[in-house]
Amino acid sequence: MPRQILHIDLDAFFVSVEQMLNPELRGKPVVVGGHVNTRGVIAAASYEAREFGLKSGMSIVKAHRLCPHAIFVPGKFSHYIAASKKFMAILAEYTPDIEPMGLDEAYLDMTGFEPLYGPVKQTAQTIRERISSDIGITASIGISTSKVVSKVAANLCKPDGLLEVAPGHEQQLLAPLPIGKLPFVGPKTEKKLAGLGIKTVGDLAKWPVNLLTKMFGIHGQTLNLHAKGIDASVVASRQHIKSISRETTFAKDTLDIAYIKANLRYLSERVGAALRKEGKSAKCVSLKLRYSDFETINRSLTPKQPVDTNESIFDTGVTLLEKAFKARKTLIRLIGIGVSNFVDSQRQLDIFDTTLLKLEHLNTTIDKIRSRYGFGAIQNGATLPLRQKTSIRDKDYQLHTPCLSR
Amino acid sequence: MKVSCIKDNLSKGLAIVGRAVATRSTMPITQNILITAKKSSGLKLAATNLEITMTCDVGAEVEEEGSITVPARLLTEFVNSLPSDTITINLPADSRTVELKCARYKARINGMDAKDFPKIPTVSDGLNIKIAPDALREAIGKVVFAAATEDSRPVLTGVQAEFANGGLTLAAADGFRLAVYKMALSEPLSEDMSLIIPSKSLGEINRLLTDQEEAVDITVNANRSQVLFNLKGVQMVSQLIQGAFPNYNQLIPQSSNTKAVIGLGEFLRATKSASIFARDGSGIVRLQIVPAAEGEAAKIMISAQAEELGDNVSELDAEVDGEEAKIAFNSKYLGEVLGVITQDKVTLETTGSSSPGVLKPIGDDNYIHIVMPMFVQW
Repeated sequence: MPRQILHIDLDAFFVSVEQMLNPELRGKPVVVGGHVNTRGVIAAASYEAREFGLKSGMSIVKAHRLCPHAIFVPGKFSHYIAASKKFMAILAEYTPDIEPMGLDEAYLDMTGFEPLYGPVKQTAQTIRERISSDIGITASIGISTSKVVSKVAANLCKPDGLLEVAPGHEQQLLAPLPIGKLPFVGPKTEKKLAGLGIKTVGDLAKWPVNLLTKMFGIHGQTLNLHAKGIDASVVASRQHIKSISRETTFAKDTLDIAYIKANLRYLSERVGAALRKEGKSAKCVSLKLRYSDFETINRSLTPKQPVDTNESIFDTGVTLLEKAFKARKTLIRLIGIGVSNFVDSQRQLDIFDTTLLKLEHLNTTIDKIRSRYGFGAIQNGATLPLRQKTSIRDKDYQLHTPCLSR
Repeated sequence: MKVSCIKDNLSKGLAIVGRAVATRSTMPITQNILITAKKSSGLKLAATNLEITMTCDVGAEVEEEGSITVPARLLTEFVNSLPSDTITINLPADSRTVELKCARYKARINGMDAKDFPKIPTVSDGLNIKIAPDALREAIGKVVFAAATEDSRPVLTGVQAEFANGGLTLAAADGFRLAVYKMALSEPLSEDMSLIIPSKSLGEINRLLTDQEEAVDITVNANRSQVLFNLKGVQMVSQLIQGAFPNYNQLIPQSSNTKAVIGLGEFLRATKSASIFARDGSGIVRLQIVPAAEGEAAKIMISAQAEELGDNVSELDAEVDGEEAKIAFNSKYLGEVLGVITQDKVTLETTGSSSPGVLKPIGDDNYIHIVMPMFVQW
């Protein structure tokens, strides 16, 4: 029996939530992500705004230039969390096999449910209607026998659409599409493929696998299979988080080391809290820097022992920062810190050195205070420089992309 | 220089001093072995890595006196390849090329001048003590493996030898574990003293002690910078580590919430089988100590898991006093201490999963071993 995989994607999620909360925004070019004349990037743009070329990740300045009459809303992450919870709850009524992809996307495995719910297309339509009536936003759904094809289908029928790809018709749908429409094909891969003369998904499907593996490693094989509409990966309901990162764009490009480090400290605490909540330690810490000319670097380091304290994450981050400054020290636009390569929290305790144990107690206690009274209830002194340059909301620092501040 | 000796004796001597030859050194001559022939003292071999210096007497007939240094590896490997027969070592006057001859095998090895070899330290003044070889061997074996191997904390790469109250206490710790062994001395020292001896030096002494029957003669120089171990036909001088060894006494827990008495053989076996599964996961073995309750006998469960591969658990009988406890250790540390205990039973005491685990053999109050747990998610 062929599988029936749904890919459900909420349309322009952040914007839709804002429009739902403030109906006056409906039908207008709306952008979520800070105020006009501030920096940072836009997190989402309404379909009306997209017509002007706006898209998420674009700097606010550029977005404003392209679409001067766009309405900029700062947004609030808690609203999106609330909407996402409702969304996931609706999906859970239909199948236990749900693989959430972030807040606004999910794969559903509906195989075998037809006797219960009727044709899958009809169920998908019901789900769309439920989302629309219960949450007040629209969703697009792709249906096919695999995750990759369903995702492409959902993207093709956006917004507010439904597209079913009958078994055996996958290649027919994919072949004419530009290569960039295929999931996991980013701009870099797209460029590399273009160098080979591969422009459409159909071109990619025809390429010999061994040549692709030579260029892209194991990923080359996956690319080829995906291009053929083959994807055996299952809908994994319990998603393991693979990395945690937090970043912020400065209000103004800066080389003020104390201020940069204060930001790094704050972000490290955010990352640390999320990591400990997962009960994990990270083997790898990475630092992201974007210079004023938009050159972006990612540097990572594997400390001796897996880390999970704010201090160890921050310290590793500082090491990376100092190393990066040795290579290039110019104005910084964005800083981010992340952890990856998780292992269960574990470490060898030391007889003579109890600092680590003390730090752990400190971290656990701070986590408890924050979970009860909010993240802003207690702040590390090292973040004090943020007070001068960063606005404070609910006692917490307001970083530059407020809609993404968790 | 002209000397003749039995090949097997020379081989053995080279093997002994070979342990002190420098492996990586900025001083090339320390990769050589010093050969000295004197009519009064016979044939002597010596090697040094500047931390340890070893000299060894080889029974030989000295026809002409002289000395030279020869590349250790070349000489040793060549001699080992020879048949068991008499070897003659000949160094013509004013030459640096040693000629070796054994049956119909001959070799010429270019050496370096003996004058350039680091001076062999002499430790004659200072405190002297004699210890029975078996007792010393036992003591060293109980603690030496717990010393640190990396030198981020140099004092921890050594073993503290504390002579006090007519006894000797050896202690070693790498931060993750601590081993303390007390022994009585038949001839107590005239004054108290505390030394830190490099664990490598003690390891070498331990190796040599297997052949030793007479008491080991130990001399520490007046400024406490070097120690000489005088064994039969072999002398080893080791530099001492300067610094203060951590005061470990305060770290030995005086009480516990859980105390388990476990059969050593079973405990070691269960640890070993868990270590196979623990290999990929930082060596973590988990111990769950369960007191007797409602007709069920007390027991210990030792388990380990290999991510995605599987897991194992062994159940052991135990006498358990106190509350139920969960504690995780690095299997290597647990296995090593159980491996040196010779008694039939051992006690494991702990106050909690973040507190030290204390191991003591039953019937030997002289040994105490502390292993710090691994912090894990239970």
